[in-house]
Amino acid sequence: MTPVFQRLLPFLVVAAVLVIWEAAAVSGLWSKLLFPSLGSIAYEFGVFLITPERLHEAWVSLYRALGGFALAAVVGILVGMLMGRSKLVAGLLDPLFSGTYAVPKLALFPIFIFVFGIGSLSKVALVFLECLYPIVIMSYHGARGVNRVLLWSAQNMGASRGETLRRVVIPATAPFIFAGFRVAAPVAMIVVVITEMVSSADGLGYLVTYSLSSLRTDRMLAVVVVIALIGYLLDKAVVLARDRLIYWEKLDTYYV
Amino acid sequence: MKAVLLVLSFLVCANALAQAGPLIRFGRGFAAEEQVWLMSARPDLTPNQGKHYQLKQILFQANPERFQAFLAGELDAGTAPGLAVIFAHAQGVDMKIVASVCLEAAGKQWFSTTYMVKDDGPVKRVQDLKGGTIGVVGIKTATDLWARAGLINAGLVPDKDTKVVPMAFPAIGDAVRTGKVSAGTFVEPFYSTEVAKGGLRKLFTATEAVGYDHELLDIFFGEKFLKAHPEAVRAFLADYVAVTKYYLANTAQAKADLHKAGFVRTPLDTYLKNADWKRDPNARVDVESLKKLSTFMLEKLQWLEKPVKVESMVDQSYLPR
Repeated sequence: MTPVFQRLLPFLVVAAVLVIWEAAAVSGLWSKLLFPSLGSIAYEFGVFLITPERLHEAWVSLYRALGGFALAAVVGILVGMLMGRSKLVAGLLDPLFSGTYAVPKLALFPIFIFVFGIGSLSKVALVFLECLYPIVIMSYHGARGVNRVLLWSAQNMGASRGETLRRVVIPATAPFIFAGFRVAAPVAMIVVVITEMVSSADGLGYLVTYSLSSLRTDRMLAVVVVIALIGYLLDKAVVLARDRLIYWEKLDTYYV
Repeated sequence: MKAVLLVLSFLVCANALAQAGPLIRFGRGFAAEEQVWLMSARPDLTPNQGKHYQLKQILFQANPERFQAFLAGELDAGTAPGLAVIFAHAQGVDMKIVASVCLEAAGKQWFSTTYMVKDDGPVKRVQDLKGGTIGVVGIKTATDLWARAGLINAGLVPDKDTKVVPMAFPAIGDAVRTGKVSAGTFVEPFYSTEVAKGGLRKLFTATEAVGYDHELLDIFFGEKFLKAHPEAVRAFLADYVAVTKYYLANTAQAKADLHKAGFVRTPLDTYLKNADWKRDPNARVDVESLKKLSTFMLEKLQWLEKPVKVESMVDQSYLPR
């Protein structure tokens, strides 16, 4: 496989999907209200980008997602590291996190509304809860799996517990923490959009519902494209931060 | 001999199927459509069913899903709020309103969707909703329209002065009581249940907000189906009108039958006491009210991008004369 082809490959897959979509849209087999053409979606996407009110809705969703994600990152790293380095804390919290990981927290949203209200707080709180799990579990496993040789070496060199944590445990756990971030970032967007679809007067989820109620599938799909783009950019931001902060741990995979 | 028997049995089956009439795949909702449900709960009231048409009712929780199923070719007909059909017509969906189900109407004998607030809360009149939140059942639904109409009448700007948020009907009572929303939308049976609990007060009704009696729910058919099976539609609507008249004359019995058949989950005692929406015994559509609604949607709410020709989306010629 030539390097040029290798670079083009992801775009070819996207292009193939778009061609299939357009072929389905113009085939006449389905109503255009269900399967709008790429042209009409692109037009609505363009309108979205030049309409300040719609951009504001994107910002509303983004700050809710980032707010919940940031809280989950702070609490998740702390809890995960504590669980990884303390048998007592792990014994206390592991059953809780393992036992409730599979619970769809979205089902708790009505309760969150009653506790935190209909505004942003209930959505941020639910994003926090959904993002907390992958970050805690990845941080926990990262902190627990620190190479013993490194720990012994640090102790032999006279490092205090704080120094060992700062110079050995945290750097060794960082790749796992970022793996948790990569799982949690798209989850944050998904949860925000769904909660806004359920009960909100603003945000991208609200726009999705609003467009669907008017049978404007093209407008709704334009919003979906915006959501996908934000998700993509969030992931790229996490990868960028990861590559900058843990430069010694570049992802290097050898394909056979 | 075997071949003759085979051909004969095929002809008998084909004849039986032809006599049963075409299948109407009908998308229904979960409120205010009693006479439609009764057609399936009490088929003995529908002499044409099984002869000139077959009926399969499919439950939908919301209008967009019902219309998506219709667009996907999975439905031939259904119930829908007048304003939802206006939206669909504006997007070029080939459907027609053929009959009325019920109306929002003024008068003590009818129920009209009611917006309520906490009895001891700060909202004494609609103007007091400034800075508050009003709970509706869905964005761009009839409940949303009435809420916005009520706010506009009071000189408030929806979304700017007062937020309009969607929430499920069962949650609205507690949301108002706990102050999570300043006002909420109440339909039966939630209205009667919450009034019985006490502590809530009427702020305005849907009819007061809009200012005139108007269509709430209608029956629509796809134009393709109407053209392909006009006699089946006429037979269906003849039965529908007969069932509507039966329902109006024997409401308690009809409600008990619906409850027994599982169409209604509200306790029977509560259900029997609920006030009912106005229903035209001949299922005639109030076209003028739909025109007014579409003008309001276009001019006051900016929900439509261009005017809709309401006359062209209603066809009452299939109703019994």
